[in-house]
Amino acid sequence: MVHVLGVALPDMQLARLALTNFYGIGHKTAQRLCARLQIHDRSKIRDLTAQQITELASFLASPSTAPPLRRMPLASPTFQPPPASTPIEVLRKRVTELSKPTGAEPLRNLKIEAEGRRVVRENIAHQRMIGSYVGKRHAMGLPVRGQNTQSNAKTAKKLNRVNRFG
Amino acid sequence: MQPSLVLRSGRSAWKGPYFVAFPNLKQALEDHVPIRTQERSCTILPNFVGIRFMVHNGKDYIPVTVTQDMVGHKLGEFAHTKKRFVYRMTKNR
Repeated sequence: MVHVLGVALPDMQLARLALTNFYGIGHKTAQRLCARLQIHDRSKIRDLTAQQITELASFLASPSTAPPLRRMPLASPTFQPPPASTPIEVLRKRVTELSKPTGAEPLRNLKIEAEGRRVVRENIAHQRMIGSYVGKRHAMGLPVRGQNTQSNAKTAKKLNRVNRFG
Repeated sequence: MQPSLVLRSGRSAWKGPYFVAFPNLKQALEDHVPIRTQERSCTILPNFVGIRFMVHNGKDYIPVTVTQDMVGHKLGEFAHTKKRFVYRMTKNR
């Protein structure tokens, strides 16, 4: 049982599925995370090295400030290697150009646990503050999105609050 | 942290927001005259801030004073259309 950022990840579970135990990470984000941190698809938590776990913890602690992953493109089938006489600086320059990180970083805006809950609470507070219909329904503890209330509003009555998550 | 205003806009972004050009907008800004409207689906634009609207809810006109936080929303969101449900057992069974 590994503890990362306050969440226990069971040893026997696949890493890709264990990451969904975090609030704010679902299956898609977990898959992206494993790709980003180069964790194998079928590896379990007990197979991860200590270094991988520290990498994971440090990434999740602040996804926006994590250093971008460099690209490692594969050669095409018709690749011709440059001749041996090319100067080493030219080769190095080519490598740095090829391995530049791309602009798209979908995990940069990842919000987990406390931050994710804060986002939801702030959205609800905003709706309540401006006095909109959505805010009023949260305050009454009733469904917000036009569901039936004559029957079947159990989840909404249980969970909808102005200050959700306590 | 800015709360997300662009949650469920419903309308495609390339079309632009649906709004109505009120004829007495300038007058409402200067003289603080409320604008009576049945246009509940009109998006609140930044130049509406500070104006008092009287938004129709099917029967009456509800006063709504626009603030900066209300900008992306529609006028009808602030005029509730249903009376609050109160259970009152009638005497004549």
